[in-house]
Amino acid sequence: MSELALDGIRVVDLSQGIAGPYCAKLLGDLGAEVIKVEPPDGDYTRRLGPFPNDEPHHDKSGLFIHLNANKKSVTLDIDSDQGRDVLDKLLDKADVVVESEQPGRMAALSLGYDDLKSAHPTLIYCSVTPFGQTGPYSSYKGNSMTAMALSGLMYITGDHDKEPLCTGGEPAEYFGALHAWVAVLAALEHRSNSGQGQHIDVSMLESLGCADEYNTVAYSYLGAIRKRFYSRHLIPTYPSEIFPCRDGHIVVIGGASGFPLMMAVLLEQPELEETPLFQNLWLRTFQWQEFEKILRPYLMEHDQEDLLTRAQELRIPFAAVLNPETLLENPHLRERGFFAEVDQPGVGPLPLAANLFRMSETPLRTGPAPQLGQHTQELTG
Amino acid sequence: MTGLPLSGIRVLDLTQVYAGPTCTRILSDLGAEVIKVEGLRRMDITRNFAIADNDSQEDYWNHAGYFLYRNGGKQSLTLDFTDEKAIELFKKLVPEADIIAESFTPRVMDKLGLGYESLRKIKEDIIMISLSGYGRNGAWRDFTAYGMGLEPASGIASMTGYRGGDPLRTGISFTDPYSGVAGAGATLAALVYRRRTGKGQHIDLSEQEAAIPVVGHALMDQAMNGRNPERIGNRSHWFAPQGCYRCKRSEAESTSGGGDDNWLVITIRDDDEWAAFCNAVGHSDWADDKCFETVESRFEHHDEIDGLISSWTREQDQAEAMHLLQSAGVIAAAVLNPKQVLFDEHLKARNFFDRVDTGDHGVRPVPKQIGAQFSAFAPDTARRAPKLGEHNKDILQGMLGLSDEELAKLEEEKVVGNAPVSEVPVALMRMFVQWPTTTFLGMSALAALEADYKQQLGIEDGNGDGS
Repeated sequence: MSELALDGIRVVDLSQGIAGPYCAKLLGDLGAEVIKVEPPDGDYTRRLGPFPNDEPHHDKSGLFIHLNANKKSVTLDIDSDQGRDVLDKLLDKADVVVESEQPGRMAALSLGYDDLKSAHPTLIYCSVTPFGQTGPYSSYKGNSMTAMALSGLMYITGDHDKEPLCTGGEPAEYFGALHAWVAVLAALEHRSNSGQGQHIDVSMLESLGCADEYNTVAYSYLGAIRKRFYSRHLIPTYPSEIFPCRDGHIVVIGGASGFPLMMAVLLEQPELEETPLFQNLWLRTFQWQEFEKILRPYLMEHDQEDLLTRAQELRIPFAAVLNPETLLENPHLRERGFFAEVDQPGVGPLPLAANLFRMSETPLRTGPAPQLGQHTQELTG
Repeated sequence: MTGLPLSGIRVLDLTQVYAGPTCTRILSDLGAEVIKVEGLRRMDITRNFAIADNDSQEDYWNHAGYFLYRNGGKQSLTLDFTDEKAIELFKKLVPEADIIAESFTPRVMDKLGLGYESLRKIKEDIIMISLSGYGRNGAWRDFTAYGMGLEPASGIASMTGYRGGDPLRTGISFTDPYSGVAGAGATLAALVYRRRTGKGQHIDLSEQEAAIPVVGHALMDQAMNGRNPERIGNRSHWFAPQGCYRCKRSEAESTSGGGDDNWLVITIRDDDEWAAFCNAVGHSDWADDKCFETVESRFEHHDEIDGLISSWTREQDQAEAMHLLQSAGVIAAAVLNPKQVLFDEHLKARNFFDRVDTGDHGVRPVPKQIGAQFSAFAPDTARRAPKLGEHNKDILQGMLGLSDEELAKLEEEKVVGNAPVSEVPVALMRMFVQWPTTTFLGMSALAALEADYKQQLGIEDGNGDGS
């Protein structure tokens, strides 16, 4: 068996929901031993679906399984003295704690960083919350959508004449998870240098805010307040958005070398190369309705696979619009082994989105998620 | 506060545009010395995006805000890899480096003779990270890829969109920052491993793959139940009601007659939050309505509830409504436009925006690139971006010991330099990279254009102390 990147690192995961658990899972993927400490009725995501045949069961939530693979589960009532004793023993052996309680709640349980640091000076204690530990909104409740709203990303997503739109799939939770994971790894390096642990304060809002491509810069460099405008970039790249085609949708991107010639070739109308719309990027950007009159009918007569293949042969960066069904079937992802088929106890084989990247020396671990309290005996007995 | 975790680590950064530079900017903020290598015939294209004040200075490529966000704190070395001499110089830098980062399509580095196997022969424990659209193997490996295409290819766009409408992209190149952060984490993991074992390694990161877990629950639904998600606008798969509701016009909008683009998002997760919401907005009658009693019934009557909520929000100021609902324990947030984000009191209290002295363009606000604050050290974030080739002399002479004559010859041959080499005359290029802001405003791609934005932000040119 290969050595894993985080062999020897132990994580106590006190978090619930998406951001904290996914952070801890990514540490587990790299080889850390992750002990998920759950209240007796479990992480609340065990009660959120999807479930096989829509029948709720705390060991069968697809959301929970996705977020908690490669962990061990211990159930503890940390409010009770007995539970606290057991938790203290787990903390004695921990390198990292991940928690996601509302700021102040862990301190109220005498489990805040300041309560633990003298007994555990090398502990890395990572708090992942919607707004962070300080600041006027720190006591507010939040989720991915509040982060989309307050980061400005929601205002610039969607159509200009409709309501702002939240990106699908809980993006701020996952951004928060990634930033927390990066921060824990940085703190492990820092600890190797200094011998010290520390407290990390991760804000989901700020983690998503870091992804501000050029929205605040449009104001602070040009006085321009960007507004949502379909899926379109204002940097010189038109077209760069999703269009319907005969059997689905396709991302049409001109790229650095798509115009004027290659796109005309792709659309099988070489004479278009000479037209102002194909010659002049800004003209095309401004008179986009005119350009779409040419583009849309052609796309509706052709299939995604055909358009994608021919565009890429011409080095035009078209892309496929995939959905869960076509992702799971996608030959490219299969060839790369992105999904790991894992036998999930009580559910059966499931394709987990496991191999986030490939490391030549230290492969990622791919295992099932724990059943509620599965390791309580083993780890606390 | 103690030293930064990556002090003493050196990165040779061949990445461009957005994903790769995000990865290396994070490493830089954590203390690594990052040398960004650009070709004079292939400088980072984002040096062309968002030029300060659309100015007409000769060296416009040193004044781009877009470039600043992802490249603050780095050093700039130009090396034109179309010349064999540049490749030889790069190879001489490799023994001095810990990490090589690159974001070309997979065949490029091998073709240049700079593939991982070649690099590890020069330095055995080198860590190399390759970020590409679709990864280093598989049928799509050679596809040319832009971030705008990878969000849809990751499945996220299939779940983004108005009910019954086409898939939409986020208003940013979502997978770029996402895979940039993922790349930083993978590189840090490789450093942890190298410290323990002395071994380097090669990381293959596909930007398409990295973002797929964001739709994990929908993948599970497909695997378990064969169901593909419908686009549901701003609704939730788990909770009801959830949505984005129109608020009243702001005072400024009422005066100008424009706008009417103020919104509030609300999520109500359970019966208690529903009751709290109804009481907070003065409609305990809604809480008593049997039709809205459970989450199932609220899903069933979602349209009707949306109508009721909108009738309340329409009369509210978006910020006041947010604070009112949050005080009642209800998840709510104002949908801020990019300007409002810059002025938000919470982000301000947490110093999310650094005020960076750019030199030529005074102080400008720049968002942090790490969403975490550390008790033991403060990442080195508030630094300007390097001018093209700014550190050529330091690196080529200071590190590699080239003589004045050798450097002059390389400059003469345009292997290194301080200005891009392009067939397009600078004057024309400069016009091209300026943003047609008034036209954008006319198209409704901008909400407003404010000539006095610098005064509002307190960033008068040359005034280093900010507001």
